[in-house]
Amino acid sequence: MSTKSEKYSPKLMVLPAFIILLVISLIPLIYVLGTSLTEATLARPFDHFVWFEQYKQVFADAEFGISLVNTFVFAISVTTIQTFLGFVLAYTLWHERRFGGTLRTLALLPLFTPPVAIAMIWKLIYDPNSGLANYYLAKLGLTSAPIAFLGQKSLAFPAIMAADIWQWTPFCFLLCLAALQSLPKEPYEAAMVDGASGWYVFKRLTFPMIVPQIIVIFIFRLLIAFKVFDLIYMLTYGGPGNSTDVASFYIYRVAFGQFNTGYGAALSIVVLIVISVVVTFLTKGREALLRRIGQ
Amino acid sequence: MNSVGDIVKKPAKSTIGRSLKEIFLGRPLRIFISIVFVGIIILPIFYIAMTSIKIPLEISLSGALFPAMGITGVNWINAFRTVPLVQFLFNSTVAAVLSTVIVIAVAIPATYSIIRFNTGGWFLPTWIIGTYVMPPIVVSIPVFAMVKLVHLQNNLIGLILVYAMANLPVAVWLLDSYIRNLPKELEYAAWVDGYGKFETLLRVVFPLIRPGVVSAAVICMILSWNEFLFALLLTYSPVSNTFTIGISRFIGQHGMQFGEMSAAALAGIIPIYVIVLLFSRNVVEGLTRGGVKG
Repeated sequence: MSTKSEKYSPKLMVLPAFIILLVISLIPLIYVLGTSLTEATLARPFDHFVWFEQYKQVFADAEFGISLVNTFVFAISVTTIQTFLGFVLAYTLWHERRFGGTLRTLALLPLFTPPVAIAMIWKLIYDPNSGLANYYLAKLGLTSAPIAFLGQKSLAFPAIMAADIWQWTPFCFLLCLAALQSLPKEPYEAAMVDGASGWYVFKRLTFPMIVPQIIVIFIFRLLIAFKVFDLIYMLTYGGPGNSTDVASFYIYRVAFGQFNTGYGAALSIVVLIVISVVVTFLTKGREALLRRIGQ
Repeated sequence: MNSVGDIVKKPAKSTIGRSLKEIFLGRPLRIFISIVFVGIIILPIFYIAMTSIKIPLEISLSGALFPAMGITGVNWINAFRTVPLVQFLFNSTVAAVLSTVIVIAVAIPATYSIIRFNTGGWFLPTWIIGTYVMPPIVVSIPVFAMVKLVHLQNNLIGLILVYAMANLPVAVWLLDSYIRNLPKELEYAAWVDGYGKFETLLRVVFPLIRPGVVSAAVICMILSWNEFLFALLLTYSPVSNTFTIGISRFIGQHGMQFGEMSAAALAGIIPIYVIVLLFSRNVVEGLTRGGVKG
């Protein structure tokens, strides 16, 4: 093998991946940016250059504002609950030897259930006539009439969140468990010799050591939660009203429901900027926190 | 570690010589929480499994967990008769398997090159993470336009290519920790023996990272199987509809009954669960290694 081809082989190895990244992210972003400056429709791309007219409309769009707020409410609520529950479960089952493996395997099931199937399952659970929830609520005497969980403004979002929490808590549990199991053993042996109480060990030992990793898990899950689309599409289609509309779904409706790709592109760019700001803020916040607790 | 020092300084309150486990929760409580956890995971799936064998009349009347009016196979038969389920499941399988083959073939050399030869410096890894973080809806308009440009709309090939590309960041992220933890000495020895870089990757590195490859392949395959947005945008008819989009369209258009819907949903869930259970060890390891490396 000649040395010349050897010299270039690392570059050759990344070439296909590089091309894929160009096609799936860089070129599309340039395309979206270009489209957002036009009055394009799905049938007529790049029609009529209008500079920043679409963006002016974005900032006056109350419906988009609602969908953005909803996205944040959804993502932050589910991520907080899932990380908390996942950590509590992982902490509880940290030293469970016998069922540990079985629990980890079972935890994979909700995570990998097709979201479309999850939506069907919960649609059925919430159904006023055929649903499990209403049946047992009535049986326990908690309700007199069936509740339309997905049809009420105040209940639809929490109902979707419950489905999401079912799906993703096991994921947070797995990651928290792995984080706990990666902790060094020596400090615990010292604590044991010393006879420290369980709560004291948690407060002074486990928590400070685990917090940086919990934050990583939180950020990671939050970024996935921002993408939510399937559950909304299947369970409520953004309704009732636009109480469960989220940014992804709103862009979908504008670009592919109303065929208004120019405006959809402008919305996409704004969403991307908002998420980038959040990511930067979170990673900087994490670094600042780590400095404060001295790690 | 000042926290350890604090504990050592703290005067001992309780008796010395307790076992480490006693610092944590007692076993009965742990077992109770395990059972509740497993129950919550299983209940919704068990519920649709029960619904799929209930008599349709009973489904419309009651939401009880167990069938009270006998069991039937009629929902399963109807689900496969009214919906081209076999076609959908076949399409999903083809899309998931072929896109995974492509993404793994691209991701292994790329990840290896990035880690071992620092190809692309800081920029390439950041680009990959950025691509993963970006919500897919943001690129949906151009992806739709590009697939249309090459006339692959409503065609499984279009979907396979999009899935392979969309899963690349996930595959690289999953393979990363496996390749990073390899001892470099083995590769150096291979180079001294006259192996080229590609040969080393194929003959030395690949056999060592096989568990990582299995985990990345299984996860990418499931992600493709479960994918919804691109299938919604790029496929219009049963010829190319995958399970997820095919089934959701049928519910919308034909007002599918809950019994049939449960059977159809299970038909798409069962293959995934079989794969997850078969490869659970690899999948857990892959997910958690990638997830907590920080």
